[in-house]
Amino acid sequence: MRFLVPLFVTPALLIGAEQLTFLKDVMPVINKAGCTSGPCHGAAKGKNGFKLSLRGYDPEFDYEALLYDLSGRRFNRADPARSLMLAKPTMEVPHGGGLRFEKDSRYYKIILEWLRTGAPFGDPAKDKVVKLEVSKAEFFFDQPGAKEKIRTTAHYADGATRDVTAEASVSSNTPDIAEVNADSVIETKRKGEAALLVRYEGKFVTVPLTVLNPKQGFTWAALPQYNYVDQLIDAKLKKLHIQPSGLASDAEFLRRVSLDLVGVPPTPKELRAFLAEPGDAKTKRARAIDALMKRASFVDHWTVKWGDLLQNSRRYLGDKATWGFREWIRDSIASNKPYDKMVRELLTSRGSAYENPAANYYRVMREPKLSMEKTSQVFLGVRMVCAQCHDHPFEQWTQNQYYQLSAFFAAVGLKPGYETGDEILYLKRDDNLVKHPKTGRTVEPQYLIASIGAPPIPQAGDRREALAEWLTSKNNPFFAKAIVNRMWSYFFGKGIIDPVDDIRASNPPVNEALLTALTKDFVERGFDLHHLIRTIVNSRAYQASIDANEWNEDDHINFSHQMPRRLSAEQLQDALFVATGSRPHFPEVPEDTLAQQLPDPHVGKDGFLDLFGRPQRESACECERRTDLSLPQALNLVNGGDIATAIGDPKGAIAKLITAGATDRQLIEELYLGSLSRLPSPAEYDHAVTFLKKGDSRAARAQDLLWALVNSKGFLFNR
Amino acid sequence: MLVRVLSVPLLAWSAYAAGYHNDVRPILQRHCQGCHQSASKQGNLDLTTYATLAKGGNRGPAIPLLLDYVTGKRQPRMPMGGQPLGEDQVAILRNWIEAGAKDDTPVESAALTKPPVYDQAPVINAVAWSPDGNWIAVSGYREILLHKPGGNGPEARLLGQADRIHSILFTKDGKTLIAAGGTPARFGEVQIWDMATRKQTRSIKLTEDTVFGASLSPDNTQVAVGCTDNSLRVLDVATGKELQKIPHHENWVLSTVFGINGKRIVSVGRDRAAKLTDATNGQFIENINLLRGELSAIARHPTRDFVVIGGEDRTPYYYRMDRPRVMKIADDTTLIRKLEMQPGVILALAFSPDGSRIAVAGAAGEVRLYDTETGNKIGALTGHKAGIYTVAFSPDGKQIATAGFDGSVRIYDAAAARLSKEFLPVPLQTRSAP
Repeated sequence: MRFLVPLFVTPALLIGAEQLTFLKDVMPVINKAGCTSGPCHGAAKGKNGFKLSLRGYDPEFDYEALLYDLSGRRFNRADPARSLMLAKPTMEVPHGGGLRFEKDSRYYKIILEWLRTGAPFGDPAKDKVVKLEVSKAEFFFDQPGAKEKIRTTAHYADGATRDVTAEASVSSNTPDIAEVNADSVIETKRKGEAALLVRYEGKFVTVPLTVLNPKQGFTWAALPQYNYVDQLIDAKLKKLHIQPSGLASDAEFLRRVSLDLVGVPPTPKELRAFLAEPGDAKTKRARAIDALMKRASFVDHWTVKWGDLLQNSRRYLGDKATWGFREWIRDSIASNKPYDKMVRELLTSRGSAYENPAANYYRVMREPKLSMEKTSQVFLGVRMVCAQCHDHPFEQWTQNQYYQLSAFFAAVGLKPGYETGDEILYLKRDDNLVKHPKTGRTVEPQYLIASIGAPPIPQAGDRREALAEWLTSKNNPFFAKAIVNRMWSYFFGKGIIDPVDDIRASNPPVNEALLTALTKDFVERGFDLHHLIRTIVNSRAYQASIDANEWNEDDHINFSHQMPRRLSAEQLQDALFVATGSRPHFPEVPEDTLAQQLPDPHVGKDGFLDLFGRPQRESACECERRTDLSLPQALNLVNGGDIATAIGDPKGAIAKLITAGATDRQLIEELYLGSLSRLPSPAEYDHAVTFLKKGDSRAARAQDLLWALVNSKGFLFNR
Repeated sequence: MLVRVLSVPLLAWSAYAAGYHNDVRPILQRHCQGCHQSASKQGNLDLTTYATLAKGGNRGPAIPLLLDYVTGKRQPRMPMGGQPLGEDQVAILRNWIEAGAKDDTPVESAALTKPPVYDQAPVINAVAWSPDGNWIAVSGYREILLHKPGGNGPEARLLGQADRIHSILFTKDGKTLIAAGGTPARFGEVQIWDMATRKQTRSIKLTEDTVFGASLSPDNTQVAVGCTDNSLRVLDVATGKELQKIPHHENWVLSTVFGINGKRIVSVGRDRAAKLTDATNGQFIENINLLRGELSAIARHPTRDFVVIGGEDRTPYYYRMDRPRVMKIADDTTLIRKLEMQPGVILALAFSPDGSRIAVAGAAGEVRLYDTETGNKIGALTGHKAGIYTVAFSPDGKQIATAGFDGSVRIYDAAAARLSKEFLPVPLQTRSAP
């Protein structure tokens, strides 16, 4: 029970002036003064015995804390000016948080006047902010250095409006492009794009901002557009005065697309065949794409990605179930199972994990809240974890929603199966387990966001069916978008929204039209992942060179050229097998099993793969796969036993070529094609020939050459 | 004084000596006290009073040392991480130190000389009945008001210094009234009043914040209070001397009660613990409860060493002070029973004088009455507009007085659970238009 009514209002005072309320007048001051910030009283445990809600998301709580806590300690009704809540921020008494505002400042007077007139809470039906409006829907600056004030207007539930520029918080997601000072003035620093996040009393709005290249003389040189992806990317580039790069060479393309679709670079034979193939680039490449997608290794490569996301690991599932889950994933990819169907199978799975491997999905988390966090992050791209303790500071998600969404998983129970190591997913009778931490009461499940056609949620029984239907619906605004964005990132190294699993209003897409069009196409095609992949890799944007021109060299977000990406651990390992002709032999699996065919991170643990960032599948975050470069990696490539053994393999590529009597040209070309996926330039060839002739052992010389090639950036990167 | 008012700008420093209270203290207050105060005390230095400034910290007396730190002559330059002081501010400090660094802190007047004028009723933190039942003492703002249970308006106003009075106690003979409280973030105070003359016979200042939850020893010679420095302190009523400073709590101590024989104290606080302490030597005996939520209230059975405690988790727990068996880990064998969960956080608890009933009050604005032996609810006192901070049975057990945030005192017929009287303890005067 809460008492949020004014107790003592002295009406005589209010003539000619509006009554100040906590909700409308005081809370914004407390937020702006920083009292509710994370390092201060907004911390989970408060500060120095005084706790407020983080950034004031719970005004009722803050009202009670200020007025009622410790028997009204912070409030002095008899002499409001002596209230602790005024003495602290003005430093009349020692305050660890320092001076927040001056005595007799505007903020001081607002709080004092509010206290004097009975300290009413206000009426949420009237005083709550329902919408923010910003002076412009989009900020466009012709050149860096320009400034502009951003004005914010709050719209209240009763229809009133107020200019809240002074109390609104405005921040830029890229301060080195545009910064916003304390007076809400945008100061542009350099060309580029940023998003401004404007927040006020729990409401927020994001506003895109563009600073044009100040350089003169831009003329748009149109390039061929292979599909709608290129149209939509070009439309934005043209507006921003960014000239996209042209196509990568056929050899570059084949290496890139092979690594991205089947996880391994082309063999010298495949490369020679592709380079010799007649026809225009577009058709020829489209044909190669179709052929690659039919290969068994296509399934291997995508199984690694889904294995990561679904955390397929014997650490959670045991030996046998890991292989079973892997088979389920492989089947889903090989049969191009519609994505919505695949997710529904996972979400509604039950029974024995051995017999129905999809049930392994739940065996990793084992708990409603974790199941919810993972489901929302993987399938909706939404991170709910902040909302466990408080309303999400930068999003619409509330703490209530965290528990409401978790409640869908309350009935999931796991018990030992009939076979050793098996577990059975069953539905618990007592399904009222998810309790709200504040009230201690059972929380009823509720969808995260209303969408058309969502089924009614049953009172009891398995609510996961309803959840799965809502989640995978074409009307769900997150589901399709999240996977489209995630898939895109696999081909460009960056999502249209990035990070891919952090979709929120304050993290807007760099090209909304593109994401929308891809999503629409994906949904219309019945959640067809293969179609989506084909659309992306057939675009000119995907096939573009990594070489930049003077107009796009600074662009790293609009896909105006491709970006080199370090090979993943598995790609690197398997590319080494291609380059050296050495055969893989991992423990516990048959000979010739490639790195990308391994079931889980248990195999080959602590070896080459882990050094190069193979994830342990401890989380469903894409970020767990490390793609950085480290000194131990460099040392391993230079000196490591794995590389030396593979290069010196007596049954490897070099040995075979020499035994077969290969000429210098053949030998050198094969080594270049196998490692860098291209032929040597004449200068490189001349160097190599001279090098091979020095010394007595031609084989040892060839090995040195190959060693140099696999240590080059051209080998280590997908480019 | 006139000179100071006129010399606000930087004119003629040579002719004007900066003073501590009006010139130096505001600078320290604003720029230094965030870190150098009793609660944080960086470098073991407290700059909140002249005395602590003169005493200094790890580097010795802060006069004149602080000058070197604010000018950067000594590192780290102060204020650490903040804007350096302006030249005029440094000039004030230097001027004051060169002129001898005198302390001109005015003696804060011990009490108000005239009763405060109210335009809104103050929050009430304490009500108490005199042992003969003839008086109800009610806390006000910087005063205690004495009312007749049947009368109209205060018969006497005891003007003191503390802004807030958290507890009011009467000695058994009714001759002495003891009030405890203080002014938040400034000082704590225990006031001793002679009921015959209505004069304050003693003011004991302790800690830099209010004190909470005072209780009297059964022989009325000692008073225990909870402090914001996490200590529990025991004072001698006759001399005002501090007998014990007991440091066992890990957070603010909010309420205390002596055991039947006066040799033990149970205290509760924000660290969630109800701690049993030997009052004679301050030694910790044990926690009598399992830690659940923060605790704000405790009351002891009038004739037995049983206590009821309550707080954040809204459930009153009825505990015995003595453990029936040897303690094991997470052992709750001292728990006699839990009462029902309340609709709001518990802030006040009281036993009826015969021990048969327990009154539970709190943030939800309702007092619930329980039968001590069965734990059954036997009644509810309603009518409050906001949280209740204090509840007290009349000495004959027939009436219950309550008060809290809404500023009204309510007297209920205990047996019928019916409101019999409601009054504002202070006279209200309409606030003049600004």
